[in-house]
Amino acid sequence: MVDLLIVLFVITVIYFASAERLSTYISLIALQGLLLFGIALFELKEISPGNLIFVAAETLIFKTILMPILLSRIVRNSGVTKVHRRAMPAFYILILSIFGLLISVILANALVNSKIDTFFMMAALFALFAGLLLIVTHRLIVSHLIGFMIIENAVFIFSLAVGNEMPMLINIGILLDIFVGVLILGFFGLRLKAHANELTLLRD
Amino acid sequence: MGLIWFFVASAVMSILVVLLRNRIATLIITSAFALMQAGLSVYCWLNLGKTELGWFTFDSPGVLLLSALSVIIIPTVYHGFIYASSGDEKKFSIYHSAMIALITFMSGAYIANGMTVLWIFVEATTLAVAALIYHDRTEAALEATWKYVFICSTGIALAYLGVLFLGFIYGRADAASLTFEELAGIISRANPMYLKIAFLFVLVGFSTKMGLFPMHTVTIDAHSVAPPPVSALISTTLMNVGFLAIFRVYTLFSSTEIFNFMNNVLILAGLLSLLIAAGYMLKAKHLKRMLAYSSLENMGLVAIAIGTGGAGYYAALLLIVLHTFTKSSLFYQMGQLSRVLHTFRLDESGNYMKLYPAGSLVLLLGLVCILAIPPSGLFIAELMIFMGMVVDGQWIVLILSVILLCFVIYAMATRFMHINFSEPRNNAAPVPEKISLWEPVSQFVLLGIVVILCFWQPQALKDIINQTIAVLPG
Repeated sequence: MVDLLIVLFVITVIYFASAERLSTYISLIALQGLLLFGIALFELKEISPGNLIFVAAETLIFKTILMPILLSRIVRNSGVTKVHRRAMPAFYILILSIFGLLISVILANALVNSKIDTFFMMAALFALFAGLLLIVTHRLIVSHLIGFMIIENAVFIFSLAVGNEMPMLINIGILLDIFVGVLILGFFGLRLKAHANELTLLRD
Repeated sequence: MGLIWFFVASAVMSILVVLLRNRIATLIITSAFALMQAGLSVYCWLNLGKTELGWFTFDSPGVLLLSALSVIIIPTVYHGFIYASSGDEKKFSIYHSAMIALITFMSGAYIANGMTVLWIFVEATTLAVAALIYHDRTEAALEATWKYVFICSTGIALAYLGVLFLGFIYGRADAASLTFEELAGIISRANPMYLKIAFLFVLVGFSTKMGLFPMHTVTIDAHSVAPPPVSALISTTLMNVGFLAIFRVYTLFSSTEIFNFMNNVLILAGLLSLLIAAGYMLKAKHLKRMLAYSSLENMGLVAIAIGTGGAGYYAALLLIVLHTFTKSSLFYQMGQLSRVLHTFRLDESGNYMKLYPAGSLVLLLGLVCILAIPPSGLFIAELMIFMGMVVDGQWIVLILSVILLCFVIYAMATRFMHINFSEPRNNAAPVPEKISLWEPVSQFVLLGIVVILCFWQPQALKDIINQTIAVLPG
């Protein structure tokens, strides 16, 4: 079941590369939150109830509900619905993503270790690559935020790769999400100049 | 048990400043905090090598950089009072509350004895710096804060992956107690591929704080709008936090077979940092951005020095300390310069020597010090770095570094001379504010220390640097 959820997660990451509507991006982020909850639920069997509630709250409340709502508000404020004029064409991003997936598979297999799950590592490496790719190839602030969220999800999967015996590190990942995610989205993201949607004031 | 009281008192002071919203109370509380932080350094020196609360150890690299912070904390607080006094009560109290928080988080990061705790404190500094950069509440401040938080968060997430890789090496059951000492015991059994990946993630991630290539842009934009005393901290002690995180992992891995790999990566990152710094300084139009690129140049040299090894280790740590004093004094001076010239733009600046001779002298002395021209203490550090390159046979690195430094010297010297002695290009006639005679005193004192360290270094300083590098090979 966990493997199936991870495959679905990887498919959502590939879908990011081909999508052009920001509303699709936001739906995918919400879906990823749901998938991460499922993965955490099945993977962390030996975790204490308190930690499990913490993880579930982060994936369901924070990643699936709160972040997509904040992202939708930012998109509404900016009035931009598509990314295609401000980004590399989706076709090239898709090819780069597939290339990234291949590299992730090779790298994860090169790092086989009895202590960690290779499948988790492959998914995490691919999500990390896809998040960075989105940040580099897109110019819109919202795209950058989506890229950051994908990287955060990669970190979450990476934390799960060491399973139920690293509760403290998982909790730290959660703290990172809550503090930084809410701060940059809720506070600064909503205040940024709505009509510009790009950052151009500070240049050399 | 002194450490727990420091953290508790700092938290109480930071909250009190916001709750009271009273200038006099803020002045008293922040001054008391500055003295308490200096007291922490003395406490750490007296308890060198001891561990407290399980998560903090007063080891030599941490105590060295904590002491450097303590030296500049009183002038930072003093210049902060002056800068923030122009704002309303709310901004004044938020500024000082965030400043107390930032200094506390940096102090915690210096003495943290494990990657996890260090990472938490580094992440916390991002939140405090965000509040400080956003102090002026302008559009540019919002953009700079956004960029800072966004890039730092991405970088810190990458560093977190590096920490997780260290966790994989360590094993699963008790990874929460991932101290440097425990890691050192088992690191030789680790898969080199894991070590390489962990090092790369940590280097790229913590480069957001150290300001190294490729994550240097984060601090450059922040300097454009940050209050000058905040720039002084971002460009010195906060960079030192990033350096320490990378240095601790470097020290940990130095006994493994990836030692040469780490050295090559550091030299490459250092050279690219020098290249970027030299290129942008030649076309710099904003004074504070130019100083930020100068910090990039110095951090590039530090990375090269560590990568070169030998005498480079001592030189890197000496350079870090001296750069802290020099760059902070230049940034404090920026606060006065903006009140005299009312701009940081180079083409609108000029005649500074006529308008404010004391500030102009600080700029000239600061220029000599930061460019490592004798009698600057940085001269000794950079000379040792170049000697290290010669001994190590790094001729190409030496030649490239010297050429790039020539560009840096030309760019900085011509721009500082223009500010001091030329007419402003737009012929604006600024009406300078009256500056207190006391304001530049701390800057002269810090630059004086840099000059003295060129001729004489206290035995305690030599000892603590030597203790720090004793575990490194060669």
